[in-house]
Amino acid sequence: MTDKYDVLVIGGGPGGYVAAIRAAQLGLSTALVEQQHLGGICLNWGCIPTKAMLKGAEVGHTLKHLDTFGFSADNIQFDIAQLVAHSRGVSRKLTGGIAYLLKKNAVKVIDGRGRVSAKGVVTVSSDTGEAQYQARHIILATGARPRPLPGLVADGQKVWSYFDALVPKTVPESLLVIGSGAIGVEFASLYSDLGSQVTLVEVAKQIMPVEDHDVASLVQREFAQRGIRVLTQTKVSAVQGEVGALQCRLTLSDGSEQTVHVAQVLLAAGIQPNTEDMGLEALGVEFDKGFIKTDAWSRTSVAGLYAIGDVAGAPCLAHKASHEGVICVEKLAGVDGVHPLNKSRIPGCTYARPEVASLGLTEAAARSKGHSINVGRFDYQANGKALAMGESTGFVKTIFDSETGELLGAHMVGPHVTEQIQGFGIAQALEATDAELSEVIFAHPTLSEAMHEAVLAARDRALHQ
Amino acid sequence: MSEIKIIEVPKWGLSMEEGTLNNWLIEEGDSFKQHQELCDIETSKISNVLEAPFDGVLRRKVAQPGQTLPVGGLLGVVADASVSDAEIDAFIAQRSVAPAPAPEPSPVAATAPAAPAAPAVAAKAPAPAPAAKTSNGWQVPQALLGFSAEPVFATPHATRLAKELGIDLSRVTGNGPTGRISVADIEQTVKDHGGKVATLQPAQRADSPARSRADDSQIVATPLARRLAAKLGVNLNDCRVTGSRGRVSKVDVLEAHAAQNPVAAAPVQAAAQAPEAEVLPMNGMRKAIAARLQESKRTAPHFRLQADLDLEALLALRSEINASAPAVKLSVNDLLIKAVGLALVKVPDVNVQFDEARQAVLRFKDADVSVAVALPGGLITPIVRQANRKSLSSISQEMLDLVTKAKAGTLKPEEFQGGTFSISNLGMLGVSQFDAIINPPQGAILAIGAGEQRVVAHNGQPAVRTQMTVTLSCDHRVIDGALGALFLKELKRLVQTPSLMML
Repeated sequence: MTDKYDVLVIGGGPGGYVAAIRAAQLGLSTALVEQQHLGGICLNWGCIPTKAMLKGAEVGHTLKHLDTFGFSADNIQFDIAQLVAHSRGVSRKLTGGIAYLLKKNAVKVIDGRGRVSAKGVVTVSSDTGEAQYQARHIILATGARPRPLPGLVADGQKVWSYFDALVPKTVPESLLVIGSGAIGVEFASLYSDLGSQVTLVEVAKQIMPVEDHDVASLVQREFAQRGIRVLTQTKVSAVQGEVGALQCRLTLSDGSEQTVHVAQVLLAAGIQPNTEDMGLEALGVEFDKGFIKTDAWSRTSVAGLYAIGDVAGAPCLAHKASHEGVICVEKLAGVDGVHPLNKSRIPGCTYARPEVASLGLTEAAARSKGHSINVGRFDYQANGKALAMGESTGFVKTIFDSETGELLGAHMVGPHVTEQIQGFGIAQALEATDAELSEVIFAHPTLSEAMHEAVLAARDRALHQ
Repeated sequence: MSEIKIIEVPKWGLSMEEGTLNNWLIEEGDSFKQHQELCDIETSKISNVLEAPFDGVLRRKVAQPGQTLPVGGLLGVVADASVSDAEIDAFIAQRSVAPAPAPEPSPVAATAPAAPAAPAVAAKAPAPAPAAKTSNGWQVPQALLGFSAEPVFATPHATRLAKELGIDLSRVTGNGPTGRISVADIEQTVKDHGGKVATLQPAQRADSPARSRADDSQIVATPLARRLAAKLGVNLNDCRVTGSRGRVSKVDVLEAHAAQNPVAAAPVQAAAQAPEAEVLPMNGMRKAIAARLQESKRTAPHFRLQADLDLEALLALRSEINASAPAVKLSVNDLLIKAVGLALVKVPDVNVQFDEARQAVLRFKDADVSVAVALPGGLITPIVRQANRKSLSSISQEMLDLVTKAKAGTLKPEEFQGGTFSISNLGMLGVSQFDAIINPPQGAILAIGAGEQRVVAHNGQPAVRTQMTVTLSCDHRVIDGALGALFLKELKRLVQTPSLMML
């Protein structure tokens, strides 16, 4: 036995490193075990590098429409390697930032792969051998990885996962994206803007299955207009051929079969938790559909063992993981006034063109839960700022409980909506009703005026439509 | 006139004597409701939020963040808008240094009389608000004046000083043995009530010049010299005058200071001789440990009893439970807490506190076991309440929570104040055996050493067994030797036959 810590976190992603910092802030001796790179998928292969790539796509889109604003340019060159280099550079910089933050907060970072070898004991194996650490509280924050489909595994050659799609050597002439969650939709949008002929396949009835139906429909329409072929209720049964000339066998909604020829396939059909080879089964950890089962305070079924973030179940979002980490640590440290995670208050953002941001219940979910609701909708077509920017596609939709005025859900699609959704988040956290939101003065001219109008629309009081 | 109320430093625990205001959570002029959080106060043990005892409007923050006040010290003044600022000024002046007894009305007296009469005057002249009694550098607040007919236990020096100053000794808390009041206690009480204490001068040395106590406010000095003099405690009357226009200058103050403090004046030389030492101010927790354990060692006659416990059966039980119940992770300490709890109930005369004031022994029905937890720079003793009644798994979970809270500083007062018996375990640090000091007012403490393999006689044969040495320190005022031995015997029986704990 080497050291004994109050808190030991396994996994240095947005859940784990935040939990470790919070624990250290509270005066607990804290260690963090990371096998590859601090910052986890989010900083290295997810949220952040994709945003860097998508910025490139946005620039490409702007260049194509220069004439709207009176500009013309020719001989425009694009070097994918440079865009990838920018994206990797951003990740490196942020990863270094995490190392600094952990050091500043006196969190001991242990390099290697952590395994819970007994209650309260973590064995870390690395190139230099094995070491054991004791801890009063062990927090599992090991995240998740791309999920393979039956008969279809990402091999990095014919079939990419998001890891490969972030470091392309060339832009494939054509791309089949399997899965239309946030990852699939973002990459479909990205590669379409970079010049690929994209086909997006989704097994569910609508793309972006967790989003409101109206939002998904608009994105699908926009994608279609951009030349992205969208196939819902469609399965991919086989991928054959060589890179650059792949034959993908699809089963369509009506049962018919079709073969699509593409240069590249990207598998983005969800993720699966990283729970293997960690000694969890032997300890008696309980699972729920492969994810670690936890209570409201992220406690597992084993004494002194906690799980946060993706490994503890959906929604698999960085900000959910961070928040869960803070709650878990504050609760075990006895901080006053800690509230369990309220899943209806976790915003979700998809950075496609158009952007999608949402919070709380969809209209369908609100109805099926038996709420009596008022729905308001306002289109960016009638928003001055959006028209001036030349990005007037999209809308804001609000869902209020008609009896209490509670904001049950907010759904936004259009320009910069991901930056605006927190306005509704604040309102929800402060339990504002439609009445208070109506009274807020929104600055003019802003995109956010559409949020106000959508609130007014839910009360049949919209002023500009 | 509307009522003026005060916010004062609360008494959160028996041993709480003072509190440090960390910060205000409301502003002057804010109105607040009962139970609203007003300010953070740090005591020797915890930092806690002071809740409003009533509704009101905070008119004045008297104490500033960082200030340490005795229990009952004035933090702030509460009154509604009908009370003028001047009245509040007068109230504060009156409280901090009580007004003169004012036997005869004096037309010149610009004191702070009953505020409503002349609030304006009071507001303008709060500064020289006189003490009830000023003599020889003492300013004794009125609250302490008087004479108590009842006999008070005090040292002769203290009795004489009290008589000279007209202090009622029954209002002074004695900290000496059996509550005897010393001169230091009088000084502390006067200071706590906002009065002034004559600075005791060190014995005059032939070579160190006299220190003047005369008022030096009229001495002409440079602003820097005056401020420096105040900081160094130098009276300007003691300084040469070498500055321009006949003023005392910085050099003069430094010279006077050096002359009066010869040791301080020769730091270079001193440093060369004295070993280098870092000065580490004691924090509240350190002070509390020092005071309480000093008191314990001084007042409680300790005797110690030692026993070796065979741990084989207990370790086997622990392994079995830990291997078969995922949700439970028992430590040896958790099992010992349970065993101690049961032994205390079996031998209740060890589960006692000494009530000195009542000259009585308090015997408890349940065992609230205080467990010493080491922290950086100190230790704290969170309590497992009713350890005799709790299951091993709940004791284990509770200890995990309490230890983590102790480290995070989030223990609530009720989680570490009280307790009927203490245990201190240094086994994990490899200590074989040690003696602990009783945690007053408890009657006994158990010091637990490491479980280690020893060659012992077992069933008439030498055998290697895991054994542990425990040492019980008892306060002989309330626990006798045979009684302590009985407790250890019961403890040994439970530890060596741990299935008894399941009963």
